[in-house]
Amino acid sequence: MKYITTINDKTFEVDIDKDGGVTVNGESRAVDFLALGGTLYSLIMNDQSIAAVIDEQHGSYEVEIGGRMYEARVLDERSQLMLARTGGGMDDSGEVSIKSPMPGLIVAVVVEEGQEIEAGQTVVILESMKMQNELKAPRKGIVARIHVSAGQTVEQKKILVTIT
Amino acid sequence: MREQTKINKVLIANRGEIAVRIIRACRDLGIPTVAIYSDADRAALHVRYADEAIHIGPSAPRDSYLRKDKIIAAARKTGADAIHPGYGFLAENAEFAQQVADEGLIFIGPSPSAIATMGDKHAARVAVRRYNVPLIPGSEAGLSDDDLMAAARKIGFPLVIKAVAGGGGKGMRAVHNEANFKEALATARREAESAFGNGDVYLEKLLVGARHIEFQILADTHGNTIHLGERECSIQRRHQKLVEEAPSVFVDDDLRQRMGQMAIAAAQSVNYVNAGTIECLVDEDKNFYFLEMNTRLQVEHPVTELVTGIDLVKEQIRIARGRRMGPTESFLQPKAWAIECRINAEDPYTNFMPSVGKINTLITPTGPGVRVDSGVYSGYEITPHYDSMIAKLICWGEDRGEAMLRMRRALEEYTIMGVKHNIPFHVNLLNSFSFIAGKIDTNFVEQRFSMDTYENAPTDEDLEAAAIAVTLYAHRKRQLATQVVQPGKRDTSNWKWYTRYERMNR
Repeated sequence: MKYITTINDKTFEVDIDKDGGVTVNGESRAVDFLALGGTLYSLIMNDQSIAAVIDEQHGSYEVEIGGRMYEARVLDERSQLMLARTGGGMDDSGEVSIKSPMPGLIVAVVVEEGQEIEAGQTVVILESMKMQNELKAPRKGIVARIHVSAGQTVEQKKILVTIT
Repeated sequence: MREQTKINKVLIANRGEIAVRIIRACRDLGIPTVAIYSDADRAALHVRYADEAIHIGPSAPRDSYLRKDKIIAAARKTGADAIHPGYGFLAENAEFAQQVADEGLIFIGPSPSAIATMGDKHAARVAVRRYNVPLIPGSEAGLSDDDLMAAARKIGFPLVIKAVAGGGGKGMRAVHNEANFKEALATARREAESAFGNGDVYLEKLLVGARHIEFQILADTHGNTIHLGERECSIQRRHQKLVEEAPSVFVDDDLRQRMGQMAIAAAQSVNYVNAGTIECLVDEDKNFYFLEMNTRLQVEHPVTELVTGIDLVKEQIRIARGRRMGPTESFLQPKAWAIECRINAEDPYTNFMPSVGKINTLITPTGPGVRVDSGVYSGYEITPHYDSMIAKLICWGEDRGEAMLRMRRALEEYTIMGVKHNIPFHVNLLNSFSFIAGKIDTNFVEQRFSMDTYENAPTDEDLEAAAIAVTLYAHRKRQLATQVVQPGKRDTSNWKWYTRYERMNR
């Protein structure tokens, strides 16, 4: 079974055969992979002992090894093909929404509809966990819609402001 | 001299790691404990650790942990005869301390009048000035916006706006020039109003390149007032401490002696009893200024415990019982070195944005020289109602080098998944040459530290190992999925299936 695995931004072609043999980009690796319960795994690879924590969230993975966190994506050949056909990826056009990263209280909306804004500009001030947090625009654009007002409590992932 | 009393049961008017810390001291002393909890904290660790637990209301602090009446009623109901306030919430509320005393209960902390004087920043300055304690130039409290503007011009920029009722960096803003003053003042007032219900602020000159160094005070009712040496707390962000250590690389024997004397004088100016902390700013020329007194146990108290061998919470209880405290001499020679990293559910890669959610994996560091004071466990859900500090990792060693190396090792062992946290920040900080050399001041993190500088990129081997692990994980899951019987063919769980099979073969 052939997989295309992306760690951070680097891609690996990992092939796992029926007997569990592993090759990476065509080179074979001596691998012993053991589930230790929960999210904890032990990997012994070419005599190197590696403890890994693997967490799967909505089809993408977070891997922690030696205090370092990796973002991972694993695609088999078929999904890889599908993704290539449908495009995917992002560009600077279209709408982006600034969502509430956590439940909280809107202290202030510091932009107006129709306003032109820069990337990194503060858009909304959200109070949560006793702190005032400034939510910033991910890219430059024009404020299309404001969905909340000061004094309102919002749930996590609520769309606050839409930018076009 | 106060008569000795017995404490039969302690109610802890707090939550999180500090509630757990206090419960542990009580258990060490054989004193039963009562926890209080809000709706959001039913599953919290402190509830599990206590002998009894009383629900005191909805999740918002003002409806639960700040409800004096409900807390006192909980003490009455359970027969607790003493209340430990921890830090934050009602810990520095003189009215609460008075109410507790009026009910005939013991408040494990200083007198209401000492809390009131030190809690009012202006009154505190007046009180300590009589004892020749050096102060930072600043303004009066209770001024209008226009008067503050005039005062600001007189003091000169840069300066700091501080909440009169403040603490923990809330309602505090540094202003570097006149143009930003008005906006900063409005923000500070707004924050102070929402955090303390009091929007009054005052001004203080900002000392450039100053260190935040504080002294731990311990005083009993038998006339003993001592200090337990200093803590260096210059690693801060937005006036929130992130890393503390004891002793400070900057404090020599002479400075420790002089600052310690000043700290004792400041405590004596309000007839202070129990544990407290004198916070100071120390400039590059080793001039020191009184900042404020925290009339409670500090978050960072463990570093002092590790270099003195004193259990501060146990001493607090002993003092509250009217007994003579254990140590009676100030500590002029620290025994070792201790460093504390505050573990916050905040993402250091996105401007320290707080993070909420369920901790699905928690591996806590252990081994020689490592202490963890934590309020969370695997499966615990972090809510947005309280502050983001979830644990403290404290490491000690013979000297600063050993403490730092242990901290580095312990941070590497520490695994928290499910929420974003600031462990990567601490790892990078411990790699920074300035920190290693002890060349730090209160602006270090905000002005001279960046997550990118000390972040060494993972090697190709690191990435490959991660790739192999995650691919094997995904592969195995996929294999399992294909072995599952088609939907509808077998609708009961495998466990039921298994027991039926067992029965058939009996």
